Amino acid sequence: MSGSEPVPAVPAVPGVVAPATPPVVDASELSSLVGQSLRTEELVVNMGPQHPSTHGVLRVVIKTDGEVVTALQPHIGNLHRCAEKIGESLPYYQWLPYVDRMDYLAAINNEHGACLAIERLGGIVVPERAEYVRLILAEVQRVASHIFAMGVYGLDIGAITPFLHTFRERERGLDLLDHIAGGRLLYHVVRIGGVKRDLSPEWIDECHAFLDAVERRLPEYNALLLDNHIFQERTCGIGVITGKQAVAWGVTGPALRASGVDWDCRRDAPYGIYDRFPFEVPVAPSGLAGTVGDCFHRHWVRFKEVEQSISIVRRALRALPPGEIMAKLPKTFKPPKGEVFVRVENPRGELAYYAVSEGAEKPWRMRCRGPSFSNIAVVTEIAPGTLIADLVALMGSLDIVLGEVDR
Amino acid sequence: MSEPAATPSAPAPAAPADPVTALAARKLRAALGAAVLEVVETGRHPYVRVAPGAIVAAATLVRDDPELAMDCCHLVTGVDWPAKTPADGPGELEVVYHLVSYARRPAAEVLRSKVKSDNFLALKVRVPRDKPEVPSVMGVWVGADWHERETWDLLGVRFTGRPPLRRILLPEDWPGHPLRKDWEYPVEYHGIPIIPPEGR
Repeated sequence: MSGSEPVPAVPAVPGVVAPATPPVVDASELSSLVGQSLRTEELVVNMGPQHPSTHGVLRVVIKTDGEVVTALQPHIGNLHRCAEKIGESLPYYQWLPYVDRMDYLAAINNEHGACLAIERLGGIVVPERAEYVRLILAEVQRVASHIFAMGVYGLDIGAITPFLHTFRERERGLDLLDHIAGGRLLYHVVRIGGVKRDLSPEWIDECHAFLDAVERRLPEYNALLLDNHIFQERTCGIGVITGKQAVAWGVTGPALRASGVDWDCRRDAPYGIYDRFPFEVPVAPSGLAGTVGDCFHRHWVRFKEVEQSISIVRRALRALPPGEIMAKLPKTFKPPKGEVFVRVENPRGELAYYAVSEGAEKPWRMRCRGPSFSNIAVVTEIAPGTLIADLVALMGSLDIVLGEVDR
Repeated sequence: MSEPAATPSAPAPAAPADPVTALAARKLRAALGAAVLEVVETGRHPYVRVAPGAIVAAATLVRDDPELAMDCCHLVTGVDWPAKTPADGPGELEVVYHLVSYARRPAAEVLRSKVKSDNFLALKVRVPRDKPEVPSVMGVWVGADWHERETWDLLGVRFTGRPPLRRILLPEDWPGHPLRKDWEYPVEYHGIPIIPPEGR
């Protein structure tokens, strides 16, 4: 085959443009290019604001060198809804529905923290049964949030099946909360002084059935994710946050425990009646696959926490005392002058409220610390040097909710 | 509904002092002297207030002291305190640092007591409203970065000695700092009419 044969001319067909013949390069010109390096440059890529792996509206500007991330800057604020400004423009009890909308996957936990802060400000004592109901609802919410996070994480890194499985159980959990509160995600059921609705015996049976179902399914999720070789390849040793980095950046929750820091607000700074239900805090061991502080460990901690939450709810349901679910409250609620700082353990980390009262019907200042806000900030230090695909794995494993980052 | 509006009594004066705040106050006084302006050891929210110029020294001390070991800046908050009357001067902006120590383990008797936690400390700084400049603690706790940016964004506290402050939650061209008590709603933003809550 010699290259010098003439190319047969393409017969001209009306309406069809003949493909352009490639320019013939002289071999002598090619030799002049040998030894020269190709021109390379860093590329700035926008990930988001609408991106399937950003769990909301997050824009991350990434500087890339080929496939490697060299620097990145998250731009948040797309979902800013002025929660703190609204908080100080409304009477205390009217702010609670807005709290739900910060972390919309864990609304009960948000309400719980806000109510604790306001109650401590006003010196309100919550009835015993209401404390139990709060704890049960908060832990059911945690189970629902965690198994959803586990499934969605699979989705982030390319496994669709586990998402469909976890979504099934998660919906059962949300149905439970729906039966109490009348809403699927946003409940407004934990109120200042107690809870709005009581648990019925039927609900308790249903709750036991839900916990049994989740417990039965956990090995199945594991077979799909933690024991899955592809999942391990995608997560082990990826996005390692050391314990020191996690503490310095204010990372909290499962991400902190995955980095080997043994701290859980429910055990170490207990609120409500958590001190009556001792439980085991899962902290990343070094015996697992991968490195302590990587994406795999964060997923593992979440899975272990589901087991613990199931045990807490079971014990609380058995110990549920009879009685009132709402404290007697004055018609106009004016807490005395003062300030409080309350932190609670959200599924995503430590949620904190700092409330300042000047003795009026409205707070002087309502500050809220969203755990995802600090958890996403650490990405600026961890991500440089990883691949773009691993950045998705890293951000997914932190399980951020943008509604809470932006508040 | 019981009335009148129950104003539950403030904590009794004999309330026990918060051990961490008492310890921190003692150490800060020894190191900084007159820069420690106010110490509240009892009540629901104990804190230590230092002079704005001494905040970085105070932060470094409470972080590096092995007994305090406040290794995490949990939250930075700005609070606006405008003057009640124009004669009182420009008013003040307060910055509150909520610090947490993960190195300190809570003792069993603390968990059983009403305090529940002894790894927590609050530092405060007050600056005049017309010149709200506070040295940044980003060099002490890197995690304070975004919290300081948020405090700048919403309250207009200028943190100095750090990478340039950019807004974080609001758009770059947003007028003013909305959590200041005298902030007024703009009439419109890029052609979008804004109706303040009172007019709704």
